[in-house]
Amino acid sequence: MKRDHFNPDNFSSSANPKMWPCQPDDSGVDELFAVLGYNVKSSDMADVAHKIEQLEEAMGTFHQEGLSQLADETVHYNPSDIASWLESMISGLNPIPEFESSSDPFLESSTSVNSQMPLDLDFGSDLIAIPGKAVYPRAQPPPKKLKTSIASAVPLPPATPLLVDSQENGIRLVHTLMACAEAVQQENFKLAEALVKNIGFLAVSQAGAMRKVATYFAEALARRIYKLYPANQQDSAFNDLLQMHFYETCPYLKFAHFTANQAILEAFAGKTRVHVIDFSMKQGMQWPALLQALALRPGGPPSFRLTGIGPPSHDETDHLQEVGWRLAQLAESINVEFEYRGFVASSLADLDAAMFNIREGETVAVNSIFELHQLLARPGAIEKVLQMVSELKPKILTVVEQEANHNGSAFLDRFTESLHYYSTLFDSLESCGVGEESVSVQDKVMSEVYLGRQICNVVACEGVDRVERHETLEQWKTRFGSAGFEAVHLGSNAYKQASMLLALFAGGDGYRVDENNGCLMLGWHTRPLIATSAWKLS
Amino acid sequence: MVRLRAVGEHGREDKNTSKTFCINDNIDVLIEILKRLDDKSIGVAACVCRLWCALTRNDALWEHLCFRQLSPPPEGVRTVVAALGGYRRLYTVCVKPVLTRLRKMKSGGEMWTRHEVELSLSLFCVDYYERLFLAGGGGGGGRIAGDAPPSSLMFLCKAVNV
Repeated sequence: MKRDHFNPDNFSSSANPKMWPCQPDDSGVDELFAVLGYNVKSSDMADVAHKIEQLEEAMGTFHQEGLSQLADETVHYNPSDIASWLESMISGLNPIPEFESSSDPFLESSTSVNSQMPLDLDFGSDLIAIPGKAVYPRAQPPPKKLKTSIASAVPLPPATPLLVDSQENGIRLVHTLMACAEAVQQENFKLAEALVKNIGFLAVSQAGAMRKVATYFAEALARRIYKLYPANQQDSAFNDLLQMHFYETCPYLKFAHFTANQAILEAFAGKTRVHVIDFSMKQGMQWPALLQALALRPGGPPSFRLTGIGPPSHDETDHLQEVGWRLAQLAESINVEFEYRGFVASSLADLDAAMFNIREGETVAVNSIFELHQLLARPGAIEKVLQMVSELKPKILTVVEQEANHNGSAFLDRFTESLHYYSTLFDSLESCGVGEESVSVQDKVMSEVYLGRQICNVVACEGVDRVERHETLEQWKTRFGSAGFEAVHLGSNAYKQASMLLALFAGGDGYRVDENNGCLMLGWHTRPLIATSAWKLS
Repeated sequence: MVRLRAVGEHGREDKNTSKTFCINDNIDVLIEILKRLDDKSIGVAACVCRLWCALTRNDALWEHLCFRQLSPPPEGVRTVVAALGGYRRLYTVCVKPVLTRLRKMKSGGEMWTRHEVELSLSLFCVDYYERLFLAGGGGGGGRIAGDAPPSSLMFLCKAVNV
């Protein structure tokens, strides 16, 4: 129906391409409608379209009598103004409880769509209207009913996926989250408390990734406000389990393992005795692929020694030894000489170079996947560890870290950064196995819990408890540089393997591998999320 | 049993010396034929009779299937693959999904590259390692298994949501 208006003959010869919907900043009247005798502002085109759709919908559900009644009894004051004509038609069909007269057509249309449930925009008596740009970007203090408008949204950094969701509630949700974080930073906990409750309501109205992210952030904020810090964040067994599910759901960990392995493989070219020290042993998922690659390399496999570091386990099992045993079984099957040693350490800073018993003629590689940022919680720890690593004289140090700055000194900055980062991450999770059974529901849910714990740590914890202190590759470069390391370029083999790996995943075209000065970054659409880099002693 | 009526040397059927050619007596010919089939046809062939079933389980056949499009076949792979579960498993679990998935991306060309081989083998090794978890039993395996055994290669088994 709408398309009929666009009779090609009506286009003026000066070819002013007015596509549907129009640019919002053009304050003139739409030419095409004007030709037909309707007076529609170009800036209103989007909501006129929206209302026409609603009208169609509403008319579709009505009996015949109702429609004729509508035609007779609805009063139109200015038929050439489509916007108000539509409004009166829609309100004729859907009588809504009386709202204060609002000249914001967008607000009315959205309320009529939401199944006649009037949105309670009055946030309760706890809140007085918030002046200024903190909540809504308006110069004057808003009236009792808070309004918003998409066109004047707070300019969030361009990489945010949140604005893709153009629902009014989505925008409001983001604003409320930011306002709450700001309130927390200013220690205005009463306001923050009221806002956090509203985040809960708003989050429920969203769907998919946005809803989950908002829920996790709301929970983390609530914990911070009520000082209910999460207990037992260091439960390593549970963390490992969660990480396994994360490993299966999405390619981030696999990318990390494969790219690091490629760097290590290249560093071990031609060596006969090799020793890998793994700071992030967990389940040892990284090493089968390396063992296989070494087994098949020209010239045959080297003799391989692995030292795994892990946190103390809370139950009786010697988890590290079990992992070592399995890897030994694998190595034996493929005829690679294998030796394993496991070290339990609650922090990497407790380790000492002499413990590793580096032998003569051994080529050493040190590997760390998502471990180094935890050291930033204690002053001096990272320097100690890097010093220890350089004493080991490794041929290569492979590091994979989250590409984000969640370690800023101001809470609000950390909050904003992590909101964008985890939104992107959850977005990518949504694309995994949508509809297909390629990823089980359990895997996906556990991955979300895994990420949720990180969110909780970034937002709710402080001091030594806050271990998720992610930093960007640039920041790490500076650190490694001052510790005496220089970058090793990851070759094109790593790049190709990574690209192929990503192509195998569902939703594979959303993932991007980028090369950045010899380091590889995996991102979702335009946002890089993790970065692999390799280092050697200079 | 397949019977072929052989035509005598001089181009005419000689009633006295007519031979029937039973394929099952000539296993080498049968294998040559099976080698040229694709995976679905091999599956169908396996249902014909016990002999054919046994032949199709021969790993050499699957090795040929995995690598016949690759020239030259990689060295030393056989022992590794045999240790990790055999070519038939390699094909079903890794090679076929990798090829079909990546064929959709590539414009043409039947040859698969060294990188694809390496990737398939790495993923196959990961699969073996995960099976070790399941075989690990209660203590260590229970930590991972939960109710459904995880397999990071499951993402290969289902269609890509492109």
